[in-house]
Amino acid sequence: MNWTGDSEVFAMVKYSYYPGNVARQASQEVEDTIQPLCKSLGIDLIEMVGYNSDGGDVIRQGNPELQLALNARNFALAQNNGHDIITACASSQGVMHDALSTFKNDPIALASANRVLEKITGMSLDASEVQTHHLLHVLVDEIGLDKVEAAVVNPLDLDIACYYGPSMQKEGACGGDDVWNPTYMEQLITALGGRPVEFSSKTRSVGNPSLLTLGDSVMKMTAKVLSDAKGAGANVIVSACTLSHSNLDSYQGKAGRVANKDTAIPVVNLTEIIAFAFGHYTDRFAQLRTRALVIGS
Amino acid sequence: MPTIAKVWIEEDCITCDACQDILPEVFTVTDDTSFIAAAVREDGNFDQNTGRSAIKKEFRAEYSDIIEEAADACPVEIIKFEYESAEAGDEPAEAEAPVEAAPVAAAVTPSADDGVLAGVLAGDRALTILFGSQTGNATGLAEKTAKLSAAYGLEASVVDMDEFDLANLPSLKRLLIITSTWGEGEMPDNAEALWQATCGAKPALGGVHLSVCAIGDSSYDEYCKAGIDWNDKLSALGATIVQEIQLCDVDFDEPWAQWVAQALPRIACVDDSGTFQEDMVEAMIAYGSGDDDDGGVEGDFTPASISMPEISLTLKVFRYDPDRGETGHDTIACALPGHATIQDALSAVQNEVDGSLSFRSSSHAGGNPLTGVMANGRVVLADTVRICDLIDDGDLLSVEPLPGHEVLKDLIVANDSWENERSSSKPWMEADPRQGERLASGAPIGVMASSEATKLHQMGDVSSFPLLNAMSDTYGIDGAYSGPAVALQRWIRAQDSRSGTAQTNQIYALLQGNGGVWSEADIGAISRHGANGEKVANELYAARARLLSEFKFSGKSGRMVKWYARSVKLSGNVNETTLYRQVLGPLGLGSNIMNGVSLRMMLGFTRNGGPMMRGFQGMLMPPAGIGKIPDMFNSKVHNHHEVVAMFNELDRRF
Repeated sequence: MNWTGDSEVFAMVKYSYYPGNVARQASQEVEDTIQPLCKSLGIDLIEMVGYNSDGGDVIRQGNPELQLALNARNFALAQNNGHDIITACASSQGVMHDALSTFKNDPIALASANRVLEKITGMSLDASEVQTHHLLHVLVDEIGLDKVEAAVVNPLDLDIACYYGPSMQKEGACGGDDVWNPTYMEQLITALGGRPVEFSSKTRSVGNPSLLTLGDSVMKMTAKVLSDAKGAGANVIVSACTLSHSNLDSYQGKAGRVANKDTAIPVVNLTEIIAFAFGHYTDRFAQLRTRALVIGS
Repeated sequence: MPTIAKVWIEEDCITCDACQDILPEVFTVTDDTSFIAAAVREDGNFDQNTGRSAIKKEFRAEYSDIIEEAADACPVEIIKFEYESAEAGDEPAEAEAPVEAAPVAAAVTPSADDGVLAGVLAGDRALTILFGSQTGNATGLAEKTAKLSAAYGLEASVVDMDEFDLANLPSLKRLLIITSTWGEGEMPDNAEALWQATCGAKPALGGVHLSVCAIGDSSYDEYCKAGIDWNDKLSALGATIVQEIQLCDVDFDEPWAQWVAQALPRIACVDDSGTFQEDMVEAMIAYGSGDDDDGGVEGDFTPASISMPEISLTLKVFRYDPDRGETGHDTIACALPGHATIQDALSAVQNEVDGSLSFRSSSHAGGNPLTGVMANGRVVLADTVRICDLIDDGDLLSVEPLPGHEVLKDLIVANDSWENERSSSKPWMEADPRQGERLASGAPIGVMASSEATKLHQMGDVSSFPLLNAMSDTYGIDGAYSGPAVALQRWIRAQDSRSGTAQTNQIYALLQGNGGVWSEADIGAISRHGANGEKVANELYAARARLLSEFKFSGKSGRMVKWYARSVKLSGNVNETTLYRQVLGPLGLGSNIMNGVSLRMMLGFTRNGGPMMRGFQGMLMPPAGIGKIPDMFNSKVHNHHEVVAMFNELDRRF
């Protein structure tokens, strides 16, 4: 059977969907685009009803046990759904991976979290029953780039720098991709009809956890990623991290002024660029192409 | 007969454990060398005893013969001793020249003096030792076996079964297999592929001479099955068994030693033509033990190493000429053994291509914490990391200087800034005066339990502090930031119970202040750098948790944690508007308006194509809800009371 992009002729792949901390807040465009793109590929996003914040490694700084317990609740919700967790945010994937690794490797931490979880929610976590994945790794490892390519309606035809960020680039958190020199997003962009642009800062941090607390250093970190991508010849940056997107997009002008670098370049989330290639939101895609032509490299 | 008064260890110990196995009361083998036990020494020290402290008199008679035996057994002849002087009674004769241990045959090149063995010792002396190992035990035995094989004039290669090419098997003259058994009689993971390939290909092994050492656990039904399978299979394929298989239980040291004492001299009697000269075995045993009438042959000892197949690579090395102010890269196509380190590769370039290439190096693996480089995006010690652990055959290996550091020349970076930071942070202990705990000079000292000392040591047990700093994406960007290495050292000192209250408070102030632990923009980026990175990240998180308590959530960072947690407690999810308002305050929000951040957020809909307002909050409480500026209030998640109860159960501060 040929893959046609029509999900109805294939068995759906089901995941418990964790939107992360901002996809249903400041980054609604992620929520707008992940739903149709997943439908195009036959991925059924099952809502984790009542999910809570993963703590973003911020609550961990005040109370590590509390952050673990919050994650345990989400994992237990996914476990009850009967499906692994998928997210489109690299930071969330990193946080959840760390928490789940702790539970798998530290029975005392698991027992402690379960004590609270059982007492309050009646649920109990079996850490071996659930896994977490970033959308990128699901597309490459599970769905297959051939199927992605077959679903393309509007080839991207853009020079695209792929930003991974550091959060999910650790052993066990990034699927079969290389931790230190990841290429999954570049492969995906190629499958979507774009031209990936290699640049040296694709896994560097932009300092998002300290966006509101540190001034110039975070702006300089952000500017470095933006200017490196632009300097490498990209006219669009695609970010696999919804949180880092805030730095790269909303703080782009300020970062450029602080670091005295050319940082003007369109930045979109990974889910947006995939949805555009699949023919969703053609108006937004046209707008992006225009911006790339005007302010891109 | 005189007794031995002094014993010491000279340089170049290969840590083969032979001396410790013979006389553990005197010799203790460490990671690098062998030490003389404190209990038997007059000075009570525990080191190589290069100062030649005397052995306590009560031990001399008991241990003299055995020390001599250990010296005889030492393959590199670095155990030295001195007899008691007859004239001086029990006192050792200080002026007497040291008596060296009897030389042990350790050569790989035969001479005319080899007598009856000359024919056997001539020509190809290659020995292949294949290991199948699940937990590392078989690997260790293979390495030890290789070291001992040199005494029989063999040139051993230790090869992981995973890395062995089956096509080479029929051409081997001498083969030893050391393998464990996994689970219910299964091959170890690294042996499975070779086993399956061998069973499938069924190569003719008429020229192969073999002995197998099998490790197992007799409490399992299929005791040592993997080794037995190899022995039977290769034998069936035509290999000659020169020594019967040795089965080793969980206490494998002794049976392995018995096996190796038989198997090595026997396999050493396979000559250059591939003929097993069985009648030479007795002479070979004597030769290997140094008791042969032929006399020993001088030569270099060949230390064992695990050989990996050669890798073809493109080596791309950063270059910087400070005199000309020029930077660039050298790109060299080369082929190196997979087990070569990055330092080996750089040395090869320096020796054969460009002698001006500059980098820091060391004489042995892990010997110099300043050899850090960035290899294919990963910060590593060049003297430690093998090429085969970074790339596959045909790949690019890019070597850059450590990030975040000033480059002095090529791959050499400056470490003075971190050294200065460390020094200015006063990491040494300053104890409070305590009654009864003072040095003779009157200076106060502290005490701690050994468990606490161990814990503190583990906290700081990292391979290289400059490497830690390079793991941070913030270090080098923020000139005021002292870096994770100094922050870690300060934090450890603050946890030291011997530190005085004044010093502890001072350290907390340093950690909390500008350039301290809050200056790290992304601890998560550090944690991805292996065990060291994860350890340091955990300690930095722990330091922040302590500082939040000490300073009561003060400052932007404190408010960030407090209000992040409170907004999650309030609705189940973080509310970004709350964070902006509480962390930045009115001035910060004003600044965001002035520098265009707020405008970009409000105009977000023009860039991502979304609607200008997404809900009623955008109309009722603008600018929240307009463009990409988040709503003022979150709706509560389903079963929100559960989230509140978790907060109340675990931390009521929020």
